[in-house]
Amino acid sequence: MPTLASLKPGESAFVTLLDEGSYTCKLLNLGILPKAKVTMVRKSPFGGAFYIKLERHQLAMRTEEAETIYIEQEL
Amino acid sequence: MTKADRFNIALLGNPNSGKSSLFNFLTGLRQDVSNFPGVTVDKKSGRYTLHNGIEAHIIDFPGTYSVYPNSSEEKLVINILADADNPHRPDLVIYVADITQLERHLLFATQIVDMGYPMVFVLNMTDLVEKDGSSIYLNGLKQYLGVPIICISVRDEKNMEELESKIEDLVEKLDRLSASPLYQLSDIETFVAGRVQKYLGLENIYTAKIISHHYQWLEFLSQDQRKYISDIIARSGFNDLKLQVRETMQRYDSYSEVVKKTVISNKKTLKSRTDQIDEWITHRFIGPLIFFVVMLFVFQSIYSWATYPMDWIETGFATAGSRMNNFLPDVWWSDLIINGLMAGMGGVLVFVPQIAVLFFLLSILEESGYMSRVVFMFDSIMQKFGMNGRSMVSLISSGACAIPAIMATRTISNPKERLITILVSPLVSCSARLPVYAVLIAFAVPDIKIFGILNVQGLAFMGLYLLGILGALGSALVFKKILKSDSGSFLMIELPDYKPPIWKNVLLSVKAKVIAFIAGAGKIIVFISVILWFLASFGPGDALKNAEMEAIQKSEATGKSIEAQNNLIASYKIEASYIGHMGKWIEPAIAPLGFDWKIGIALLTSFAAREVFVGTMATIYSIGNDNDEKTIREKMAAEVRPGTDIKVYTTATSFSLLVFYVFAMQCMSTLAIVKRETNTWKWPIVQFLFMSVLAYFSSLMVYQLMG
Repeated sequence: MPTLASLKPGESAFVTLLDEGSYTCKLLNLGILPKAKVTMVRKSPFGGAFYIKLERHQLAMRTEEAETIYIEQEL
Repeated sequence: MTKADRFNIALLGNPNSGKSSLFNFLTGLRQDVSNFPGVTVDKKSGRYTLHNGIEAHIIDFPGTYSVYPNSSEEKLVINILADADNPHRPDLVIYVADITQLERHLLFATQIVDMGYPMVFVLNMTDLVEKDGSSIYLNGLKQYLGVPIICISVRDEKNMEELESKIEDLVEKLDRLSASPLYQLSDIETFVAGRVQKYLGLENIYTAKIISHHYQWLEFLSQDQRKYISDIIARSGFNDLKLQVRETMQRYDSYSEVVKKTVISNKKTLKSRTDQIDEWITHRFIGPLIFFVVMLFVFQSIYSWATYPMDWIETGFATAGSRMNNFLPDVWWSDLIINGLMAGMGGVLVFVPQIAVLFFLLSILEESGYMSRVVFMFDSIMQKFGMNGRSMVSLISSGACAIPAIMATRTISNPKERLITILVSPLVSCSARLPVYAVLIAFAVPDIKIFGILNVQGLAFMGLYLLGILGALGSALVFKKILKSDSGSFLMIELPDYKPPIWKNVLLSVKAKVIAFIAGAGKIIVFISVILWFLASFGPGDALKNAEMEAIQKSEATGKSIEAQNNLIASYKIEASYIGHMGKWIEPAIAPLGFDWKIGIALLTSFAAREVFVGTMATIYSIGNDNDEKTIREKMAAEVRPGTDIKVYTTATSFSLLVFYVFAMQCMSTLAIVKRETNTWKWPIVQFLFMSVLAYFSSLMVYQLMG
């Protein structure tokens, strides 16, 4: 299954599942949960991190964090 | 104090909800910042008088996302909320939510309601929604939460009286309107939480569930209680993460329709203002460029704005000192007051303007939302050095002063990354090194221009700053290899919408930091100053008296003025004092670096604070209270090694001394703050040792290569 890290800048998708681990708790608290719509806005200037947009707010996360978020283009 | 003595009101909410602004409004200047017992988490509390005369105690708790914490600050909040006997346990919760982020901010609110706390739900930032042309409908939300709701805007101070009267009403009758839980426990949760509830004798089953989740670290549980809960969990197959996902999703599902009906937007904006700003601010090339321009501005401001008040403070203390000299009797304790205590206090207060200006600018950057963009942009670089994007903020602040920088590391949740940031921050050249650099560069570097505009001395300044940054990054790499870490590192950070800063918040934060500095580091600086005063004012036996006689004889023989004679006496006295002996004693150790015992004395006194170097040099070279850098420079330039005409301050010695000052840990206050932030003397000692070793060997290398 593709993860959030595989999106190209400008692309959107829906979260389907979280890979349960040490990031899960933090992701849930920041509003990343199944069915949420996520948009990859851009990569960080020196790589390694992403600028992610949700419905109403923005987040930054590392590649390995984004790789625990499984996505699908359509719900 | 026991719980029964007072009425506790807790301000709770997510980070960036405007909670602290509301706290500042409600308490005004009647607030104080202390630590929660046993942890380095700021406790901001204030008094709030209700109309019926009851004094309430308001605590502004750290921003929290949910009852499933990720940082030590959030853990503290849960420790208090889940503990029925905690002295900080709230009698009433004022929950603050950003109305533009309602869906996310409702999560924690519903959890607190389920824990059975009486609550008033405050929707903040309604000004932003109204500006949008959107409408707010509260009926559905009121029914769903079952608590009083009020819309306010702290920025515009709108509806604030209404909020205050709601609080009054609630204090009179502390009941929840509806008693049905917002979250339906699963079978397994009901089983585990039910047992735990009965065993601990709790009123609330949801609290029992939270305790079951976090029993390993909740402080109020006894060993027996932990054992009991752990046994039940092992038997039942209670899965922490799965149940957290279940709970979070069920809560979102239960209120997402309600949220949609609460704020009805009239226009569909495709790109918000924040999106537009971030296209530039976080742009691949322009973003870092903007950052460096902003930093340049910050440093310029610190140097130019803070100079004036610093001069006033210095002259003020000097004038006060000489006035007191005139009317105090000529005994040892007057000298202690003037040259020990007052000089020490002057040494503390002189930093206040810089700390104030730095925190003024940093809190504007923080409040507006820019700092989290910096964290995002530089995280990957910082990670290579074992640090976190959040370390950037500390390393930048270190350019002014390591003390606020180290205080700013609390936002780094990974202990190893935080520790590395604390350990290497003082290597970034702070403003206290400036006067030392200024005096010494004049010896080491010719005052000429290249290409007609670039001043070589200016380039040398820049070189020293770069050397400090390289030292910090290099040491960070070493610590990254040595230190062990068992907890994971993460970036995941909210990039809040850009907002103009609320000035009251900015000023209160400046005030809090300045007070923390004076109270924390100030005491130690004054203490060390008194010790140094003692070492410089007393010597073994009659050594000082003899030195004074000798100086008088010598100056009378050469027919010097009274002022010159006094200066000569001071110079002979410091040589004969304890610290003079210590300087001579360490001379063999520092001779390979090109230093003589006079520099040795200055190194010892600089241990209190670097800038003391210039003052000590002034005393040793008997130029009295005239702390003029140019005079000191001339004196030092004329200095020769005894019995020869070899100059003491050769280019090699000057460079060696400069490098020493770049790397050496010569700041008691920093060590004191590191002790406070790490809760042990281990790390300040490690820091002192590694920086001293680094300084010694770098200087040795420089002197031996150049000399």
